Amino acid sequence: MANIKDLKKKIKSTKGTLKITSAMKLVSAAKLAKAQQAIQSSRPYANELELTIKTISALVENYSHKYLEENGNNETEALLVISSNKGLCGGYNAQLTKEVRRYLAETDKKVKVFFIGKKVKELIQKEVNVGKFYTFAKVDPTFIEMETVGKELAGLFTSGEVGTVKVAYNQFNSAISFTPMVKQLLPLSLDVEERKELEEKFPFDFKYEPTPKQILDALIPETFSTSLYTSLLDGIASEHGSRMAAMDNAVTNCKEAIKSQTIKMNKLRQAAITTELIEVVSGAESLNG
Amino acid sequence: MNYFTVDILTPEKIVAEGIPAESLLIPSVRGQINVLPNHTHIINELATGVLTVFGGADDPDVDYSVSGGICKVLNDKVIVMTHIAEKNTEIDLERAERALEHAQEKLNSGEPLSDAKVEQYRNKAERAQIRIQLAKTNQ
Repeated sequence: MANIKDLKKKIKSTKGTLKITSAMKLVSAAKLAKAQQAIQSSRPYANELELTIKTISALVENYSHKYLEENGNNETEALLVISSNKGLCGGYNAQLTKEVRRYLAETDKKVKVFFIGKKVKELIQKEVNVGKFYTFAKVDPTFIEMETVGKELAGLFTSGEVGTVKVAYNQFNSAISFTPMVKQLLPLSLDVEERKELEEKFPFDFKYEPTPKQILDALIPETFSTSLYTSLLDGIASEHGSRMAAMDNAVTNCKEAIKSQTIKMNKLRQAAITTELIEVVSGAESLNG
Repeated sequence: MNYFTVDILTPEKIVAEGIPAESLLIPSVRGQINVLPNHTHIINELATGVLTVFGGADDPDVDYSVSGGICKVLNDKVIVMTHIAEKNTEIDLERAERALEHAQEKLNSGEPLSDAKVEQYRNKAERAQIRIQLAKTNQ
């Protein structure tokens, strides 16, 4: 049975943990606000750009770009996994790992896995063919840095080394929820229905300056890097959201533990006092005896 | 007077959303173009330069320094998608001057640079010059 001294120690250490977890929760909440802001301000750009490119490529005939078409390689694939560099964020990395494993088990292609963030890498690097692990000057990469990563992956695609480029990340839904998913980046696909819809919506063609070909040539790589960057922002926002939720749970658990241990300690203390009192009283009685 | 709306979007933030304009000057790769209400639908590639939104009687005129990207004019709604956009009042003059100095230093240092690098620094210098100019006219 635990004695009072042990319990006191335990309560003290739990209080220390409580302080740390609540501080981490506050930090994550602040970072989440920033990340959420970032993703919300970049989504309109990404969506608009995608829409525009789809519109142009649906309206313009006889256009082909190497990013739009399959390169004939059906065997290999590059998968970029965006995870976090730090732990203590609930199921963030575990769920993503699960999704990646599930995907790798299902696909019949040879997959080369690239990593941003070391957590998932540490978990699965022994099971997969590791391509490259990207690190950046700061914790979170900038748009330019992501563009460089994108160029490298696109280079693999255009040279025919890989047939598809995919990205695995946690999509940000809200502060407390995210969905791990695998998204195809290259070749950029435009399905037939979408094409029809767009053709109906725009019975006229745009006036292009300089030419639709030049615009698409410039825009297609742009769309690719933007959608890569949005995946990253999604990942960052989900990470902070997930960490905040995890820390919130930890804070609640700490408080509960402190409460139950304090009660236990008080009970023991009372029992000890009662025993002492009985001893004193019975000692006095025997003297009177 | 007719008005149309302008959105300026960049990958990192929404610079302007739904601001009313009666006229708009766009720096396209083939020179500047002027957009007025009821303009035909166009898609233009942007150059590095100054994009001016004329707000008309009620709203002030605003200059933005933009670099690259495209601009879509459709049904009296202009959407500018550019890599970098800065409002004239928000330009950090000191930073722009530093950027210009740095780029010119690199270009003039005699270091062997690849063509891509030279191009990159020239673009940087050009962008910095535009920003400095904008910031100065604003003062």
